[in-house]
Amino acid sequence: MNQSTNPASNNSHQDEFRLDGLAPEHDDFSLEAETVEADLDHEPVQDCLILNTEDAEQPETSAQIDLDGMDKPIHAVSVINNAGTNNSEQFHEVSFQNANSLLESLEAQDVPVHYQCREGYCGSCRTQLLEGEVHYTEEPMAWINDDEILPCCCIPKTAIRIKLT
Amino acid sequence: MSYTTFNQKTFDTLKQPMFFGETVNVARYDIQKHKIFENLIEKQLSFFWRPEEVDLANDRKDFIDLPEHEQHIFLSNLKYQTLLDSVQGRSPNVAFLPIVSLPELETWIETWSFSETIHSRSYTHIMRNVVPNPAEVFDDITRNDFITRRAVSVTKYYDELIEKCSFYTQLGEGTHTINGKVIDINLRDLKRTLYLTMVSVNVLEAIRFYVSFACSFAFAERAKMEGNAKIIKLIARDEALHLTGTQHILQIMAAGKDDPEMGEIAESCKDEVREIFLDAAEQEKEWAGYLFKDGSMIGLNQHILAQYVDYITDQRIVAIGLPPIFNAKNNPLPWINSWLNSDNVQVAPQEAEISSYLVGALDSAVDTDDFGDFDL
Repeated sequence: MNQSTNPASNNSHQDEFRLDGLAPEHDDFSLEAETVEADLDHEPVQDCLILNTEDAEQPETSAQIDLDGMDKPIHAVSVINNAGTNNSEQFHEVSFQNANSLLESLEAQDVPVHYQCREGYCGSCRTQLLEGEVHYTEEPMAWINDDEILPCCCIPKTAIRIKLT
Repeated sequence: MSYTTFNQKTFDTLKQPMFFGETVNVARYDIQKHKIFENLIEKQLSFFWRPEEVDLANDRKDFIDLPEHEQHIFLSNLKYQTLLDSVQGRSPNVAFLPIVSLPELETWIETWSFSETIHSRSYTHIMRNVVPNPAEVFDDITRNDFITRRAVSVTKYYDELIEKCSFYTQLGEGTHTINGKVIDINLRDLKRTLYLTMVSVNVLEAIRFYVSFACSFAFAERAKMEGNAKIIKLIARDEALHLTGTQHILQIMAAGKDDPEMGEIAESCKDEVREIFLDAAEQEKEWAGYLFKDGSMIGLNQHILAQYVDYITDQRIVAIGLPPIFNAKNNPLPWINSWLNSDNVQVAPQEAEISSYLVGALDSAVDTDDFGDFDL
């Protein structure tokens, strides 16, 4: 569905279709001679389709509760990565906003985390939580110590600092 | 303490330790001391699958086309997996059920063991489909030196625990003379044996199995033996749950809240635990040598598999609260993650490769007579 050929996209829904910036001018475009205006009180259903303009790695459907008229909270995620070959620590400053889990968010931002089941039962992604709080979207089943979290099934509640081992 | 199938005593289940308390009477799950085992049971039941759901018709063709040394890798690996699941299909029941004291843990052990029997049945399913004479392969498991050597290290702790526990349940604590042999049975020593057995089970499921999974998936990475990999993937999903189970048992024991004596034992056994992990890693590397004795395969050789052994051993020993042995922090086989990821496990019948969905859809028994009236 190419929105730019549809004059109806110039209405209030235009904002939702900003795939690549401004909608191009289409006065001189005449594949079909005339556009037939639909004689409807309500807007065509097609115009209500929402294309996903987000990063594919950070899907629209989020485990976070949508608050009307408010942006999703962005939480800073500070990562200390100790997994390098030469025992040197690496630091990543990333943020969490749209992903379904902390693990997805980290992966989308190129922070390598060990993973396996992605459902909270294998414990491969066990990570130390140094600061902040997380919320579990699924009950973690793998063994974790008091200061550890499973990024595959949690999202941050506050800004967090974590250490990958 | 003698074993009874229904303990007549009235006692508070929540005050029992995991093992060596009162034998379980009512199988009740309304009150639970360790809720995790109930969660594990539910998860395991939700994972239920049958090997027959996976069609292996293409694997037979793939297998025939494999060079001889790769056939050796494939079959030896499968023999090893068969051995491991033969042990796991019965041993948790035989060893742990007579001494368990919590209903939810008792049921978890049974559920756990049962799922291993599905794994065993799937190896027969694979063999039947892949090799002309499965009996040859199965018979070799008890004849082949390399495999039987593995069996000893896998079963020695189980057997010791089972023997001691049978004396304990029959004769109780004390010094006994059995068949002219003097045997000293005391509960603390039994608990120590139990702890070490649990460690060796964890090693079996969390290290030994994973090394064999790596081999199975290495074939599928090259689009060979994909039906086999699909089955192994389902097995791997179960094993991930089982190793979580043993990690929980070990951590609960070590914490000492469940049974203070167990906590002391765990503390005093640290060196032995490390030794069990180290031995297993060495044995797996030796096994890798046997697997690749006639040549390696694309994507996997003795060296890389040994690196994976180091990596997975460290991952597992850290998970039970001990320092790493090899300091191997990088996974040398990163592609294995996508095979171990349960997100990708699809057991819906719509999947074309699932044979039960295609029953009657094709006739695989074609005889030369069927072509009798063919004219070319």
